Amino acid sequence: MEFKDYYQILGVPRDATAEEIKKAFRKLARKYHPDVSKEVNAETRMQELNEANAVLSDPERRAAYDQLGRGYQPGQEFQPPPDWDAGFEFSGRGFSPGEAGDFSDFFAELFGRTRTAHAFNTGQRGHFQARGEDHHAKVLLDLEDAFSGATRQISLRAPRIDAQGRVVLENRTLNVKIPQGVHAGQVIRLVGQGAPGIGGAPAGDLMLEVRFRPHPRFRVQGRDLHLTLPVAPWEAALGTVVTVDLPQGSLRVRIPEGAQSGRQLRVRGKGIPGAQAGDLLLDIQVVLPPADTARARALYETMARELAFDPRQQGRN
Amino acid sequence: MRDEEILIGSLMDSSWLTLEQLAAACTVEPGWLLRHIEDGLFPHAESVAGVWCFSSHSLLRARRMRQLERDFDAVPELAALMADLLEELDELRARLGVAG
Repeated sequence: MEFKDYYQILGVPRDATAEEIKKAFRKLARKYHPDVSKEVNAETRMQELNEANAVLSDPERRAAYDQLGRGYQPGQEFQPPPDWDAGFEFSGRGFSPGEAGDFSDFFAELFGRTRTAHAFNTGQRGHFQARGEDHHAKVLLDLEDAFSGATRQISLRAPRIDAQGRVVLENRTLNVKIPQGVHAGQVIRLVGQGAPGIGGAPAGDLMLEVRFRPHPRFRVQGRDLHLTLPVAPWEAALGTVVTVDLPQGSLRVRIPEGAQSGRQLRVRGKGIPGAQAGDLLLDIQVVLPPADTARARALYETMARELAFDPRQQGRN
Repeated sequence: MRDEEILIGSLMDSSWLTLEQLAAACTVEPGWLLRHIEDGLFPHAESVAGVWCFSSHSLLRARRMRQLERDFDAVPELAALMADLLEELDELRARLGVAG
């Protein structure tokens, strides 16, 4: 296990005041906030910042960390001595055991003894009851999964309380059936798959927020699917029926006569399926054949002569 | 859990969360949620026959607001304003993605 220098993570000296630590955390939390940050590693950095802040903003944890970490360098191999935490009391405030799932093994090893663990480890067990916490995670799916449903293996890192009553981080793999009709931003709730309850109380739930991987053809908005549909000039001018391949099956769509680039066709109920199925939105894009042969050039020249068409005329009127 | 065991989840929006369930999911007290609802900071909260029910949208909003209040000591109204802006950002990003 590598030693983590929380002071270095927050960019503050070891003698920083509580106010300086708070200020440094807020400044970096703004920079790496996952919702707005453009940094590539924003989410990982935010987790590090939260972890460093959970230790340095808490006087009890900071005092213990300072005593234990004296002389260690960041990344140096580290193993806390047995019973190093004797004489310290950790209230577990500022973060929940569920959130600790995002923290490092280093943190779990040092500060795993939370109130929850304490309750497990003492006479409170059997008298004290509390439902386990809900856990949150994101699940990345393919668009096709929303059409057909799928079973996905999801790997999660979650805190668990071991036989000694310490919180340890455990990797676990779940096989989850993804229901048909799921869409981005929706939450799949797995009852009883969160943190275990205390004293026989039920476990918490696992909330999986759905995200889609970018699709090479379709763009997804809620339940609606958008697709750019290239058509030849004569198909657009004269109208035609084209076959559109969907994530599941295909569809024949009538292109109306006189269709132009930028026009949108809506096919109701052919988006992501469900009780309120989404729509399929086809963005027409007229594609010109290249004038790269004598025959093609002759055809364009005939059109130029016969049609007397000026596409800029409309803008002048 | 056995490897072959398959968990079947329920989709929120077709199954709503109660006030207590939402509070537990965000690690807040139910009173925190009630105060925010009463102050009009959860515009999408719905009450059916006097019982509050929440969608996945409310879950994401509540988690965001709680984090903003905790990380920046933001007053609830400021956290709600930030949540409004972040939701609008999500919407605009989704539109940008659709535009290709």
